[in-house]
Amino acid sequence: MLKDNVFPVKDIPNVVHPNETLVATHCCYCGMQCGMNLRVNTKSNRIVGVEPRYDWPVTLGKMCPKGVTAYQTVNHPERLTTPLIRDDASKKGTPDGFREATWEEALDRIVSRFKELQANYGKDSLSVFSGVSMTNEKCYLTGKFARVGLQTRYIDYNGRFCMSSAAAGFMRSFGVDRGSTVPWTDIPETDCLFVAGSNAAECHPTSMFRIWAVQERGGYLIVADPRETPIARRADVHLDLRPGTDLALANGILHQLIERGFADESFVAAHTNGFEETKAIVSAFTPEYTSEITGVAPDKIVRAAELYGKAPNAIVMFARGIEQQHKGADNVSAYTNLALVTGKIGRPKSGVATFTGQGNGQGGREHGQKADQLPGYRKLTEPKHVQAICDVWGIAPEEMPKPGVSAYEMFGLMTDKTIRGLYLVCSNPAVSAPNQNFVRAALRELDFMVCSDFFLSESAEYADVVLPATSWSEDEGTVTNLEGRIIKINKAQEPVGESKPDWAIQIAIAERMGRGRYFSHLTDPKAIYDELRLASKGGYADYYGATWEKIERQQGVFWPCKSEEDEGTPRMFLDRKFFHADGKANICALPYRPAAEEPDAEYPLRLTTGRVVYHYLSGNQTRRVPFLRDMCPEPFVEVHPALAAQYGIAHEDRVRLYTRRGEAVFAVKITEAIRQDTVFVPYHFGKEQSINLLTNDALDPMSRMPEFKACAAQMVKIG
Amino acid sequence: MENTAKSVLYIELDNCIGCRSCLAACTQCGGHEERNRNYVYDVNPLVNRQTMPIMCLHCVNPACARSCPVQAIQVHETGAVLSAMVEKCLGCQNCTIACPYGIPKFDEEQKLMYKCDLCIDRTKDDIPPMCASVCPTNTLQWISKEELAAKKKKHTLDNENWVASAPYLENETNVRINLPGILQGTAKLF
Repeated sequence: MLKDNVFPVKDIPNVVHPNETLVATHCCYCGMQCGMNLRVNTKSNRIVGVEPRYDWPVTLGKMCPKGVTAYQTVNHPERLTTPLIRDDASKKGTPDGFREATWEEALDRIVSRFKELQANYGKDSLSVFSGVSMTNEKCYLTGKFARVGLQTRYIDYNGRFCMSSAAAGFMRSFGVDRGSTVPWTDIPETDCLFVAGSNAAECHPTSMFRIWAVQERGGYLIVADPRETPIARRADVHLDLRPGTDLALANGILHQLIERGFADESFVAAHTNGFEETKAIVSAFTPEYTSEITGVAPDKIVRAAELYGKAPNAIVMFARGIEQQHKGADNVSAYTNLALVTGKIGRPKSGVATFTGQGNGQGGREHGQKADQLPGYRKLTEPKHVQAICDVWGIAPEEMPKPGVSAYEMFGLMTDKTIRGLYLVCSNPAVSAPNQNFVRAALRELDFMVCSDFFLSESAEYADVVLPATSWSEDEGTVTNLEGRIIKINKAQEPVGESKPDWAIQIAIAERMGRGRYFSHLTDPKAIYDELRLASKGGYADYYGATWEKIERQQGVFWPCKSEEDEGTPRMFLDRKFFHADGKANICALPYRPAAEEPDAEYPLRLTTGRVVYHYLSGNQTRRVPFLRDMCPEPFVEVHPALAAQYGIAHEDRVRLYTRRGEAVFAVKITEAIRQDTVFVPYHFGKEQSINLLTNDALDPMSRMPEFKACAAQMVKIG
Repeated sequence: MENTAKSVLYIELDNCIGCRSCLAACTQCGGHEERNRNYVYDVNPLVNRQTMPIMCLHCVNPACARSCPVQAIQVHETGAVLSAMVEKCLGCQNCTIACPYGIPKFDEEQKLMYKCDLCIDRTKDDIPPMCASVCPTNTLQWISKEELAAKKKKHTLDNENWVASAPYLENETNVRINLPGILQGTAKLF
């Protein structure tokens, strides 16, 4: 078991209110997966509140405002409780025109339309678009459902908008993608934290007590962010760069580390490849040249490198700020270079970590929801990998569909009618995808669409059939948090109305599609998990030894966990063995390229997007929680006072933002915490308030991640 | 009179990120009827993101209780200054006016005052109040008197005025606040 030296678990008794019991589980939102106890009324058997879970070692009872109020979505009056069918396609894209239906009728409609489309246009005319705010069991089953149940190649997931750059970058650098090489309990014990492109205080608030502790011990905090976020406010060095220039900044810091003798030459020689090529590439990135590109003062770049270089132990952390770019995977590898060149990896208190955005952003990207990937991170292009999964699934390799396309690219195939049917689960692309006008038109173009969710999301409004799914607390299963720790979600109440868990819905559809023999043994989440364990055995993300019993006993199991005897792997690469064939890590030589769209005379500003602490992803859940909605009822655009003066606008004025893809109106929030050349808008809002009407769909060639974080924009005052 | 509490609420203002978890958590305490009793201020919202929680300091000699004409505001043996007793409160709002921190809130419908009771159903058993339980940044901490002494030793500034609430405002308080600038005395590791 891990020992936490800075924040040991205190023995605090749980408070149990009269006529209630507590169910220990985890929050449904971000990758922190904070431990919580749900209060369940013993008479009504319904969730009525929340109590801290002081014994959960990662978060010790701490919760952000989303976590405290998460239970309020479960019995919310707007929950979907019966299947809905739309008979009149003309009302697509609106919440109107649905009628309630029975499960029998809904499933019959789905299967008859799916069969009809496949008979007319081939198996690949169907597609599955999924998410990772759901359990490992559901993620695994969704991949199998698409490939074996529907027999289509077109499956991908919203992790392409969230985690895929981290995954691709880590794969290239380390040969394996585990979001953090160290457990979160190592954070307060490190000497220097370098946080790049993460508004951790608002996106992962329960990390903050550990982050502040680094400074309280006398350690240093370096933050790279265009905005003075709450974490940047207290940083020892704030690198306030232009959005989209992260790669230059990382190269510039690496240049300084090498120049000033902070490279660990023996580590580099013994455990890495690519140092010389990288050294050659970064040699151009002097502080002055880096400053020219990034806008960060040269002395800050020098100081940051000095602090990171001198630190006996240091952790580099990052998030969507560097990842949601058309060079996101390069950015990830560039920041990983800092750890590899200085040898600050493969030991406690030092390493690399990404803040996972979605609840199961880690586990959800391991089990075969990606277009090119099979469970255990296996590749569809590797015959041996395909054979391994075929053996578990009981199909022949010829039956395995070929790799499909990434999430955003699926909308292109809907537009040109290659894809005609969509099964959408646990995702809301009509808010969260970039270039919304194109995406919404693509959804409208579909011949038939099914949406499974527990609220009528903006995307569900495009569906022909909407299926009521259960919320996270009405089912059980596992998720893998941002540390790589597999944890257990527990059931607290029976499903609301006629809602059903997604795994049960998918198995019912597969059976009606005539594929029941591949699914009928999966009668509950544990059976699905045990098949997942088998399917992952021998893969990169090996879950085989992480049984539900061990997860409960050890308060989570870090993968890889290869056998019953294996306790799991809280810290990666302690043996200095990386996962590439030669056991070495790749230091990547990465030439700089600017954002896909740079400001010009017509669109002179840089637009960047992100989160606020009160909302989660597309806001489909959090916008319905009264406390959270009241705290942030609508989006805003952050404008620096100097820029505001230039445009003649004041606090709370309304402005129209334009890009080459769309326009939208926002209330102005004047703040000195944003760069003068940049505006920021949070992305949690739908319809005409969606900033994704404006964002750029330029994709990273490696991760297929769109460039949410930087594009050129124009601002016009209204009235 | 020395209170019987084993632990105290301790506020480290610099740590606050303005997430308002403390407000949300306050609604979850038994007996709070899902109404929060605390505040978080944006110190200067047009400039930066510095925020600060405004919590009841549970004064040793509380102005709210002193100003109450009917003794509706009781001080618990742990030092917690309780919410006005429903059967006694007149709704006169003297307490709201008297409190130098603006803590007592007023329920217009019921004509009753309500304020932070330091989650007395929890803190009487040395369980942290909800706000400090959930606070993700350790701005609000529930710490033992030994831990408090250690912090006081560590954070004493030259002028030794480390507790903002004493002695200048409302005399001694049971809740302790660290002045902004907690890191001023921290020796760097390297």
